[in-house]
Amino acid sequence: MATLNIVQAVKRALDEEMARDERVVVLGEDVGKRGGVFLATEGLYQKYGPDRVIDTPLAEAAIIGAAVGMATHGLRPVAEIQFADYVFPGFDQLVSQAAKLRYRSGGQFAAPMVVRMPSGGGVKGGHHHSQSPEAYFTHTAGLKVVVPSTPTDTLGLLKTAIRDDDPVVFMEPKRLYRAIKEEVPDEEFTIPLGQARVRREGKDITLIAYGGPTVEALQAADELAKAGVSAEVVDLRSLVPWDKETVLNSVAKTGRALVIAEAPRTASFASEVAATVMEELLDQLLAPVYRVTGFDTPYPYVPDRQYMPTVTRILNFAKKALDY
Amino acid sequence: MIKDTWRFEPFSEEPIRLIDEEGRWVADFDLDLKDEELLELYRHLVRGRLLDERYQIILRQGKTSFVAPSAGHEAAQAGLAKAVRPGFDWLFPYYRDKTLLAAIGYPVELLYAQMLATRLDPNKGRQMPEHPGLKELNVFTVASPIASHVPPAVGAAISMKIQGTGQVVVTTFGDGATSEGDWHAALNFAGAQGAPIVFAAENNRYAISVNFEKQSGSPRIADKAHAYGFPGYHVDGMDVLASLYVAREAVERARQGLGPSLVEFLVYRYGPHSSADDDRVYRSREEVEFWRKKDPILRFERFLEKKGLWTPEEGEKIRETIKADLLAAEEKAEAAGPVPPEWMFDDLYSTPYWLLEEQRQILLAEL
Repeated sequence: MATLNIVQAVKRALDEEMARDERVVVLGEDVGKRGGVFLATEGLYQKYGPDRVIDTPLAEAAIIGAAVGMATHGLRPVAEIQFADYVFPGFDQLVSQAAKLRYRSGGQFAAPMVVRMPSGGGVKGGHHHSQSPEAYFTHTAGLKVVVPSTPTDTLGLLKTAIRDDDPVVFMEPKRLYRAIKEEVPDEEFTIPLGQARVRREGKDITLIAYGGPTVEALQAADELAKAGVSAEVVDLRSLVPWDKETVLNSVAKTGRALVIAEAPRTASFASEVAATVMEELLDQLLAPVYRVTGFDTPYPYVPDRQYMPTVTRILNFAKKALDY
Repeated sequence: MIKDTWRFEPFSEEPIRLIDEEGRWVADFDLDLKDEELLELYRHLVRGRLLDERYQIILRQGKTSFVAPSAGHEAAQAGLAKAVRPGFDWLFPYYRDKTLLAAIGYPVELLYAQMLATRLDPNKGRQMPEHPGLKELNVFTVASPIASHVPPAVGAAISMKIQGTGQVVVTTFGDGATSEGDWHAALNFAGAQGAPIVFAAENNRYAISVNFEKQSGSPRIADKAHAYGFPGYHVDGMDVLASLYVAREAVERARQGLGPSLVEFLVYRYGPHSSADDDRVYRSREEVEFWRKKDPILRFERFLEKKGLWTPEEGEKIRETIKADLLAAEEKAEAAGPVPPEWMFDDLYSTPYWLLEEQRQILLAEL
């Protein structure tokens, strides 16, 4: 078993998939000799050459748009957007082209591609290096959206995303890139999209999270345990498709739930999960489902940590649910 | 064999023209097309014009909801069509390309099926009229957002280069598209990659109502290629032979690995931007009449007449034959019947999703 962090897991997934399937190409700014600004593509250029690891001009519309054309012509492009905050010049390509290609052509054309982007805060980057823009993409029919939170999940889910026949937005919580290390099996494995993972079992309250704040959810569960409260932590991992069944099973058992995410609350994916739980489990709930999210402000440079759901904030809302 | 001499000079101030308005061959080289090829081009022009007229009729009949008039664009499109290898090369067209698509062999009944949103449409009625697409012929399904198909066109061309397929991409767009950021990002990337692609601008001088002078400080779209490091050709797009020969050279360059070209076809749309537009408020009838006199079909008829290949009677016979074919295609498309509403949930993802199944049930309960 090798010990990997998340950025190493990304690199291993890309390497394994490029070795397995010569249609897989990587493109983006600085992905070549530089190996990407986070070094997620380090060494791939040297191994696979300039036709498969393509340094692009600094233009997200060209990167994502070209990936659509490559994909529909038979390649399996993995585009890197340097920061999720910079995806917006390529937004039209994702929304108007990638997401709708299969649908608008009646299934004649498809865009099997991955757009990787480091997202989320906690890196002292201010609003243009810290946002969590997943709701734009979960709101767009035709895209799949994946947000892993561990090295193992990153490896298994990225490999699946590359093999998937649909466009997948793959958001990597950049503050965890090197913060979490774990032993990852040496043999090849994949993890299906659309399956949540119960990270910790409990019976009093369900903490539903994904991406970066999964870490704080687990820490909050530790704190709750000290107070005699048993919290279950569900990591969604995949937002489109999302695993309603695992979420409902958990909340049906605990009767209480918090949905925890870094993105601002209004019209967020957390809101979608909360609304679904309340629609389907109203008579089994002991308290409202609270959304514990980033605030409805731009992500400020200061305070960098307090914008995101802190352990304290999670515990405050947990108390509210438990005392309801 | 790599060709090292090319017939046409890029960045010419005057548009490249091979037949003048009297139908005289004015080129400095010999015509090398067979009579049958010339007549085939003529049929493409006439089919495009008649199809456009027929679309106006089905619009008035309430059978379709939208038409993008293309009369005046036929020569550029027919020339492009004959420059590519249909079903081998890829086309990334825009919504005003019915002459081009019919000319490469896109079955006319399928064009109608898209206009009428019947079961025969391979795009399953998902898009508004004038947005066809056909995998079988490598015709990328048209999208409305202007220039949004140009970056994907470049991606496909890069893929062809990487895979060494020998294919070429031709992407068309109007003058309006050349103001979009995606257009510039795409041309820039294509130039850096030396991708096998031809960017074909159908410059009809209006982005809906905004004339070209308000769209750009450049006198010509072709000039913009200079900044991206590849040739830009300025062509009389109402001259079908100039359109064909320049398009052919651009395609040939791409196929030989010499990279992209931008070809600006000067055309004029006789009709409004679309069936939802009123062009009388932004351009004079005199202006429209001025351009109608330069009509690509009339000009080519004069040319063919001089070669003894056309008489008014023969022209009429060709029109009647094509009209009958178009009507038969229209009937076939209509007979297929409308797309059923429950198709709405198909083809979104490659894998089933419980969310869509839930929503399909909501719809079915209403039907």
